[in-house]
Amino acid sequence: MRYGRHASPARLIRRPWAAAAALIGVVLVCGAAAGLAWASHTGHPATPAGTPPLVPVPRGKWAAATQAKSAPVPPPTALDIPAIGVETRLIRLGLTRAGTLQVPSSTAVAGWYTGSPRPGATGAAVIAGHIDSYLGPGVFFRLRELKPGNLIYVRRRHGTLAVFKVTAVRTFLKKKFPTADVYGPVPDAQLRLITCGGTFDYSTGHYLSNVIVFAVLATA
Amino acid sequence: MRTASRLTKPAKTAVAVTIAAVGLILGPFAIAMSPASASTSASTGVGWIRLAHLSPNAPAVDVYLYSFGNSSAQIVLRHVSYGTVSPFEQVTAGEYTVAMRAAGAPASSKPVLSTAVDVLAGHAYTVAGMGPYPGLRLQIIADRLTTPPGKALVRVIQASLNQQVVAVRVGHTALSRQLKFATVTGYRAVLPGTWTVRVAGSSESTTDSVSLAAGSLYTLVVLDSHGKLVIDVLTDAQGSKVDPAGAPQTGFGGTAARPGAALLPWAAVGVAGLLTVATGTALVMRRRRPALHAR
Repeated sequence: MRYGRHASPARLIRRPWAAAAALIGVVLVCGAAAGLAWASHTGHPATPAGTPPLVPVPRGKWAAATQAKSAPVPPPTALDIPAIGVETRLIRLGLTRAGTLQVPSSTAVAGWYTGSPRPGATGAAVIAGHIDSYLGPGVFFRLRELKPGNLIYVRRRHGTLAVFKVTAVRTFLKKKFPTADVYGPVPDAQLRLITCGGTFDYSTGHYLSNVIVFAVLATA
Repeated sequence: MRTASRLTKPAKTAVAVTIAAVGLILGPFAIAMSPASASTSASTGVGWIRLAHLSPNAPAVDVYLYSFGNSSAQIVLRHVSYGTVSPFEQVTAGEYTVAMRAAGAPASSKPVLSTAVDVLAGHAYTVAGMGPYPGLRLQIIADRLTTPPGKALVRVIQASLNQQVVAVRVGHTALSRQLKFATVTGYRAVLPGTWTVRVAGSSESTTDSVSLAAGSLYTLVVLDSHGKLVIDVLTDAQGSKVDPAGAPQTGFGGTAARPGAALLPWAAVGVAGLLTVATGTALVMRRRRPALHAR
């Protein structure tokens, strides 16, 4: 008797495929609604470059062009790039245990690779900095905006300046990083600034490319 | 029979719709990221040239560097005396002429010596006045710009007229046992470190200390200085002591464009869900009527 009163659910149970289909349908509709609500709130555009903060052109004694018999140049302490508003002290970078270049632990400062020649000495000095943190722009956020002819000032201990002129700004896939062009021997005083760029791969948490600025010592 | 077929068809449809809906949910996760644009070469079409006077008994000279076919000099080094080596100058790849005139001679005068140099992009050259005077000639010496990993490269230019044949050692490595005046050895790989260089001629020898870094290249120039044998150490090129592996990871993505999740799959799932609900409900309703009749 009791059973008879609940005849309708009983019939539903007799054909479970129909009930299941209806139930799955309800779940799908609810899921889709939630998904649509979530998806419409994800994503954001790339942070626009904006205007660089004003950085004064450093003053000081320009380092002379490299001489074959020059005294050892002092180590670098700071980096100024007025064209893109960069003004940072330089920390020292070595190698990781895996043999890769250390990167600054702070995204707000750049670092000089101590295995590379000192800026202003014969050879290519290598300076690396972050393009961004998890939250916003890093010290080299605007590096890609540099143009050939822009000046880069490296302050060194004892107050001398090594002034470099940008010759090229290029983007390389990390898979095709130009090791020889960055770290290989060169016969004059040069500078390489390295940061990240290109597409950000959210699955690995890394950019797919590096932006590299090539510069040569400018004569006073 | 008729009822069974009517029931089976919508059931199949419901299952198919469900599978399609599940596929639509999982689909977006399978979409791979597109790779970044291709890289470009870093070679910028420049080479390097340096000029040297390595003829012991020749007077000082003015050295001119002309871009081929250009009558005004690109570089002029005045009053270059024996033992002088200029820094490397970066020049656009192409044909050049190096000319030497007596120090102070007008630029329009006929050069004492001249030679053509073909500068290739990414290559470096030392153009040196070498040999006895008279008999001085301009020699083009190609400089290398690569080193084996973890090694320094060293070579010797023999420019001593007093000791016409010398033996040169760096630490325990013999760079040459019989190096004649006005000749140059090839580069030799040595372990980095501070080494004693020993140059021994027939009647005189000298030693000096050199620091050689991995990834760098050096030229030892053997010279006469006030009647004594001396060693001048030139740094030809410097690189990083160790090339870091791979590419630096210098970003966390905080300024990168983040694509929003696609809306279409969710909308499709919603539509599929509504269809499934409709189909299921319709089937339940139809099933009830024949059952009531039967009773």
